[in-house]
Amino acid sequence: MKLLYYPGCTLKTSAKNLEKSAFCIAETLGHEIVEMEDWTCCGVASSLTDDDLMHHLAPMRNLIHVEDVGEDKIVTLCDMCCNTLKQTNLRVKEKPDDLETLNLFMDRENDYKGTVKVVHFLEFLRDEVGFDVLKKKVKNSLKGMKIMPYYGCMLLRPREVSIDDAEEPLIMKDLLNALGAEVIDNPFKIECCGSYHTIEDKNLVSNRAYRITKFAVDRGSDAIVLSCPLCRFNLDVRGKEAEKIYNNYKQVPVYYYTQLIAVALGLDPKYCGFGDHAVDPVLLLKKKGVFEK
Amino acid sequence: MPLKSYNKKIDHDLGVPLQDDYFYDDPEEIIENKSMPELESTARLVTERSRRGEKRVINGDVLIVGAGISGMQAALDVADKGYKVVIIDKTSTIGGAMVKLDKTFPTNDCSICTAAPKMVELSRHPNIKLITYAGINSLDGKPGNFKANIWRKSKYVDPDKCTGCDDCVEVCPVEVANPFDEKLSIRKAIYIEFPQAVPIVYTIDYENCNGCGACDRVCEPEAISFLEKSEEIEVNVGSVIVATGFEVFEPLEMRKEYGYGKYENVITAMQFERILSSFGPTDGKVRRPSDGNKPKTIGWIQCVGSRSEQLGFPYCSRVCCMYATKEASIAKEANPDIDITIYYMDIRAYGKDFQQYYDHAKDLGVKYIRGRPASVYENTDKSLTIRYKDTLTGKVEESTVDLLVLSTAIMPNQGNKKLGEVLGIEVDENGFFKQDSLLTDPIQSTREGIFLAGCIQGPKDIPDSVSMASGAAAKAVAPIKDRERLIGKEFPPERDVSNEKPRIGVFVCHCGKNIASYLDVEKVTEEAKKLPNVEYADHMMFVCSEDSCNKIKETAQEKGLNRIIVAACSPRTHGGLFQDTLMEAGLNKYLFEMANIRNHCSWVHSDDWDAATKKAVDLVRSSVAKARYLESLSEEEFSIYPKSLIIGGGVSGMKAALALADMGIKSIILENEPKLGGRLRYLHSMFPSDTKSEDIINPLIKNVTKNKLITVMTDSELEKLEGYIGNYKGEVKQKGNKREIEFGTIIVATGFKEIDLDDKYQYGKNRNIMSQTELETKLKNNDLKEPKNIVIINCAGAMDEERPYCCRVGCGVSIKNAKLIAQKYPKSKIYLLYRDMRVFGKEEEEYYADVLKNYHVTTIRHPGDRKPEVILDKKDPKNGPITIKVYDDILNEEMTLPADLLVLTVNTEGGAKTEKLKNMLKVPVDAAGFFIETHAKIKPLDFSTSGVYMCGAAHYPKNLVDSIAQAEGAASRAAIPIAQEKMKGEGIISEVIEDKCRGCGTCELACAYSAIDLVPHSRDPGRLVAKVNRALCKGCGSCAAACLNSAIEQKGYDSNQINVMIAALLEKEVTA
Amino acid sequence: MNKISDEIVNVNSLKFKKGELVKEIEELCGENLFGCYQCGTCSAGCPFIEDMDLSPDEVIRYVILDKKEVLNSKTIWLCAACYTCAERCPRDINITKIMEALRQIILRKNIDRTNLTNISKDEKESIPQLAFVCLFRKNVG
Repeated sequence: MKLLYYPGCTLKTSAKNLEKSAFCIAETLGHEIVEMEDWTCCGVASSLTDDDLMHHLAPMRNLIHVEDVGEDKIVTLCDMCCNTLKQTNLRVKEKPDDLETLNLFMDRENDYKGTVKVVHFLEFLRDEVGFDVLKKKVKNSLKGMKIMPYYGCMLLRPREVSIDDAEEPLIMKDLLNALGAEVIDNPFKIECCGSYHTIEDKNLVSNRAYRITKFAVDRGSDAIVLSCPLCRFNLDVRGKEAEKIYNNYKQVPVYYYTQLIAVALGLDPKYCGFGDHAVDPVLLLKKKGVFEK
Repeated sequence: MPLKSYNKKIDHDLGVPLQDDYFYDDPEEIIENKSMPELESTARLVTERSRRGEKRVINGDVLIVGAGISGMQAALDVADKGYKVVIIDKTSTIGGAMVKLDKTFPTNDCSICTAAPKMVELSRHPNIKLITYAGINSLDGKPGNFKANIWRKSKYVDPDKCTGCDDCVEVCPVEVANPFDEKLSIRKAIYIEFPQAVPIVYTIDYENCNGCGACDRVCEPEAISFLEKSEEIEVNVGSVIVATGFEVFEPLEMRKEYGYGKYENVITAMQFERILSSFGPTDGKVRRPSDGNKPKTIGWIQCVGSRSEQLGFPYCSRVCCMYATKEASIAKEANPDIDITIYYMDIRAYGKDFQQYYDHAKDLGVKYIRGRPASVYENTDKSLTIRYKDTLTGKVEESTVDLLVLSTAIMPNQGNKKLGEVLGIEVDENGFFKQDSLLTDPIQSTREGIFLAGCIQGPKDIPDSVSMASGAAAKAVAPIKDRERLIGKEFPPERDVSNEKPRIGVFVCHCGKNIASYLDVEKVTEEAKKLPNVEYADHMMFVCSEDSCNKIKETAQEKGLNRIIVAACSPRTHGGLFQDTLMEAGLNKYLFEMANIRNHCSWVHSDDWDAATKKAVDLVRSSVAKARYLESLSEEEFSIYPKSLIIGGGVSGMKAALALADMGIKSIILENEPKLGGRLRYLHSMFPSDTKSEDIINPLIKNVTKNKLITVMTDSELEKLEGYIGNYKGEVKQKGNKREIEFGTIIVATGFKEIDLDDKYQYGKNRNIMSQTELETKLKNNDLKEPKNIVIINCAGAMDEERPYCCRVGCGVSIKNAKLIAQKYPKSKIYLLYRDMRVFGKEEEEYYADVLKNYHVTTIRHPGDRKPEVILDKKDPKNGPITIKVYDDILNEEMTLPADLLVLTVNTEGGAKTEKLKNMLKVPVDAAGFFIETHAKIKPLDFSTSGVYMCGAAHYPKNLVDSIAQAEGAASRAAIPIAQEKMKGEGIISEVIEDKCRGCGTCELACAYSAIDLVPHSRDPGRLVAKVNRALCKGCGSCAAACLNSAIEQKGYDSNQINVMIAALLEKEVTA
Repeated sequence: MNKISDEIVNVNSLKFKKGELVKEIEELCGENLFGCYQCGTCSAGCPFIEDMDLSPDEVIRYVILDKKEVLNSKTIWLCAACYTCAERCPRDINITKIMEALRQIILRKNIDRTNLTNISKDEKESIPQLAFVCLFRKNVG
C-alpha cells in the first residue's frame, strides 16, 4: 500500500530517528511511505477559541494538498500534528459555515471538500496491518523486557479525535504484547508530560517525568515506550535532569514504539537512531538479550 | 435419617463409595438410557398441553409485571380489595432489589426481615397468582380488556415436588458468577436465589446447565425433569401495572477512571450490601475481595455515573447519599477501628429523619469530604489511592483506602425500550418509563390502563416506591372496579371442641437439614408421644410443604385431634399457613401452637447435639402444656361504613378523593379555608416543569366539585370524633353550623406550614425581606417592585439545634423562584446561598443545571455553622437596602453582597391544626408536627391506629410528584377496608376484668394502637374502668404487661397459659 | 485571601465589550461557566496543580464572581491544554477552552507572556521545534 505521509517540523529535525524507523518498518511490511509535497507546519496546538479561524488555516491547507493529489488519507507520526490536523478536520466538518469562510479566505488554494482522513501510524499498524500480522514477523522477541507504555495527551484527548479509549487505552499494550514484551501498567500513562513548558520551566517538566516514570519503575519497569517527539524529549532529556533533583532516581531509557518494532522485526539498528537519546537505549536491549548484534 | 455426604461420594442408599464418573454423564446417554420419571403434577399438564397445541388461560383483573417491593405492594393492595391479581417476575423468585440490601435507612431495619413477610403474604394470598421466571411477550387490548401473552420459562424442577432440601446444589459441577451476590460469589447451574426465596423452588439455569443429570440422580422427591417445557400463558386482565425496577450502573464503559473491573478492591455499593448481608458471600463480615482480610480503611465515591452530562446519566439517583451513609455507619458501628470516608458533592439527606441519620453518622466517626475524585490507582498491596480536591479546604490530596466502594447510578433496565415496545408505553430520554404528566399524573404511563410503580419511573427509595405502588393499585382498580370481588378464603364449618378433652397432635419438622442435622428429631417425637393428652406425634421433612399440610389435616380428622402443635420455625414464617390448615380441617385457628426448635434451638445450638435435643424436647413439652389450655377464640366482625373522610382539600386531598371516586368509593373532603386548593393557591408555578399552579389545581377543583361521589365541605373544621375503623362519627363546624357525618376510614392530608422565623435573618423588619411563598404570591399578583440585586438564603430555620431536619423541597423551590425572578427581571443579579443543593427528584437535577446556566444564577455554598448575616441599612432599616455577609466555603473567604430583595427559604412544620387533630384521631406526631407512620419503610401511609391514613406534606414536606403518588396510595389503603365491607378483628385480643380494674389509665398509655379507653364501669357508673376496643386491638399484650393489678388478660396468652409453659420448661424429664 | 501575586494586567483598567468578564469568556469559548458545581474533579486531575496559585475550579469561580484578578494568576499560563479536565468534567464543561479564553483576553490586549531572549544555543537545537511553535501559539498574541 502506498501511504501519503505528513511529517511535520520536528520529524525532520529532533525526531529523525522516529521517522527513519517508521519508514523502515513500513517497507518491511510491504508498504511505501511517500512524503506529501508542499506541506507546511501544522501550527500546533489546535486553536481553542470559537472565534479563531486564523489558526485553522495552516492545518486545513495541508489537508487541501492531500486532496489535491487525489488521496483521501494522510498518515502522521507526530502526535501533536495528528491531533491538530484531526481537530481542524472535525471543526470544518461540524461547522460548514466555518469551512466556507476558510475556503473563501484561501482563495489561492482549492476548496477543501472534507474528504481526508487523518491517521496516526499507530492506528495504521493496528487497523490496517494488524498486530497479529506483526507478531508473526517478529524475529527478536522483546521477551524479558518490562515496558511501560506512555501515551501522553494528544493521542487520546479530546475524545472526538482519540485513537483509543481516553482512560484505558490498550493500543500500545497490545502492540508490545505482540512483540513479546511484558507491559507494566501505570495510571500516569495518560498524564501530560509538561509539553511546551519544557522551554521556560525545565524543573516543572522534570518533576512530571519523575512522577510518571517512578511509579512504573517501582513496579519493575525497565523502559518507557511512547510515540510523541515532545514527550520523548521531556521524559528522556528532562527526565535525566530529574536525577539531579531527586535522590536515588535513575531515568530509564525512553523508546519510540517504531524503534522497538524495528528491533523486534530484526531490522538494522542504524535505522533506529539510538544515538539521539539522553539515556542510552541500547544498553538495556543488550542486557535483555534482545540485540543479536 | 442417614446422613448424605456427596462430598465424600458415597451412595446414600447403599453406603458404598461411588465411582468418580457417577455424576457426570453425557447428556445424550441420560436421555436415551434413563427413563424420565413420570411427573404427576403441573409439569406434566404443561407438557400435555403443549403437545395438544393449547395454552393455559388465566382470567384475572390486574396484571403486575415485576415482583419487587413495588410490585408486591401493588399486588397486595389490589388483592386485598378482592380483585384477582396475576403477578410475574423474570427471576425465579420475588423480592427484587430490596432483598439484596442488608439494612434500610433511616431505621436500620434488616431489609429481608421487612420484605419477607410481604413475600409470604403474597404467595399465600388467595387472590394472587404468582408466576415466576416469566416474561411478557405482547399486550393487546384496551383498559378493561387487555390480553397479555406471558412466556413462563421452565425451571426444569417441579414446583409441587421440590422440598427445597439443597441436595442438588451440592452435586452440580457447573459454577456460574452469582448475579444475586453481584458476582462476588458463585452459584451452581441449579440454584435457589437466596434462602428465604419465595417460591422455594429450585431452578435450573438453562444457559449454563451442561445436562449431566447429577441433580436428577440425587433428588429424592424426583422433582427434576429435563423434559419439562416452557409454557405460553394467556392472561386476560383489565389493567396492567409495570414495576420492573432498575439496574445498578457498572462503570465499565464509562467513568473508567475509578478502576472498576480493573482493580479487585473497587466494588459497587450493591456489592458492598451483599458483603454486609448475613447471607452474602462473606457472611456479613466486612472483607475485601482481593485477600479476604478486613480492610483498615474504606472509601465511598458518590455520584459515579449520576449527575454527569457526559459519560454517565444527567439525573440524580436520589438514594446514593443515604445508602452510602447507611453502609458507612453500619460498617463503622460494627468495626469502630475501620477508618471511613465518603467523598461527595452534595449530601442529599432530604427525607424524613434523613438529616438526623446523616448527623448521627458523623457522630459515629464517618468522615465526609466534599470533593469528587478525579482518578483512582492501585498500589502493590492492592489498596487504592484516590486523588481528589477537598473543595472546602482547597487542597488537592491523595488518600489511600483498602476498599473502595462506588456509589453508582440507578440505571433503567437495559430491556426497558423493548418492554416499552411490547407494552406500548414510551420511554424517556434516559430510559426510564415516561409518565403521562409529571406534575399531574405521575403514575399513569403513556398508555391508558397501564400504570407505573417504583423505580421504573425514576430512581427513588423504598417508602416512595411503596407509596407509588399503592397509588398504582388505586389507579389500576378504576377500570375494573365493577368486577366481582372475592374477599378471604372459604373454610368448612368449625367444630365445637369446648366440651372435649384436649387431644393434642404434635408435628416435628426436619426443615431439611436445618433442624435434623443439629438435633434428634426422632427423639423429640418419641418424647412428645409420652406426654399426657398427646394423641399423635410424628416427624416430617418439611411441615410447611403442601403434602405435609394435607397429612396434618387428614390426621386431625382421623384421630379427632383438637389441638395442633408444630415444632419447627418461627410463627412469623409459616404461622398463617398452619392456621389455615387447621381451619381447613374444621378447627378454630387459635387451637394451634408453635414450638420454635429452629431459630431458638437448632440454629443457635448447632454445636451441641445432645443439648439441642434436650432443649427441643423441653420446648415441645412447654407448648404441649399450653396447648392443653388453648381455647377457641372468635374474631369479631365489624362492618365498614363505605365512605372515607379526607381532612384537607389541597392537591393531596383532592387527588385522594378522585382516586377513591374512580374506585367507586364515596368521600368527604373537609377544608378549613373557603376554597379548595391548599398551598398551591398561593404559589406561582411548580418545578421542574414550571407548570402554573392554577393549571394544576383548577382542573382538579373542577373534577372534584362535579364528581357525584365526592362531598366537598369548605370553611369546615372537625370538632369531635368518636368511633373506630369502619364506624366513625364526626361533628363538623361549618360556618357556625354543626353537621354530623359518618364515615369508615380517614385520610389525613392537612399539609404543612412555614415556621415562624421570629426575626431570624431580620425577617419582618424590612419590607424587602420575604419568604418564598410571599415572593410567589407577589409575583403572581404582579406586586413586586423591580429588584436589581437579589439574594436567596436557603435553609432558614432548618437543620439547626431547634429543628434538625431538612425541609426537602426548599432547594427546588429556590431554584424555581430564582428562574422566575430572572425571567421577569432579566437585568437582575441573583445570588443563591445554600448549604447543600438537594435537588433529587425526576428531572430536578437537569432543571437545576438549566437554571444556573441559562439564567446565570450564582450559587454560594456556606458552612452549616456559619450562617449568613443580614445587615439592615442604619438610616432606613424598614425600606432601605440590605447587606448580606456570607462565608464562601469553597473560596474560603467572606463575601459581602448588596441586596434590594432578600428571599428566605423558610423551613416547614406540620399544619396549624395538627395538635387538635392528633388528639381527636389519637395518632402520634413528631417534634416538628408531622404525623408518624406505622413503619417508615414499608408502611409510610398507614397509622398504627387502623383505619387512619396519611398522605402528602402532612407526612413530611414533599414535592408535587411525591405528594400525588402518596395521595393516590393513601386512597388505595383507605379503600381496602371499604372494599372488604367487613373487617375481622384479632382473636388474641386483651380483655379487661372490670372488677379488678382501678381505672389508672396505665394500659391506655401503653397501647400503641389507641385501642383502650376509660369508660364507666358497667354496674357502677361512678368509677372508670378500662375498655378494649376489639376492632383496634392488635393483641400485642403491652397492656397486660403494664397492668399493675393484673386486671387485663390477653386471650391466647393469659397468665395461666404462660405459667404452665414456664413450669413445663423447668420440669425434669417427664415419664408418661 | 489574596492568592495571586503577579501583576500582568491592571485589572482595574480593563474594559470588556460585554460588560462582565464571564460574558466575555463565554463568547470566546462557547462554554457556560455557570454550569459548574464546584466538584473539584478538574483540579484533582490536573497535572500542574501543585504549581498553580488558583486551582482550575477556583479560576472558574473567580470568573463567575467577576473577580478580574484571575487574569493575573499563574494558573492560566501553567495550563498545557492537556484536556484531562475537559474529558472528566461531569458537567461537560470544556475547562481547557476556558483557560484559552482567559489567555486570549490578555494576549489580545497586545500583552505577550513570553519574551524568549535568553535561551542557550544548545537548548534551541535540542528542544523539539514543536515545543517552540506550541509555546508561541499559547503565550504570544
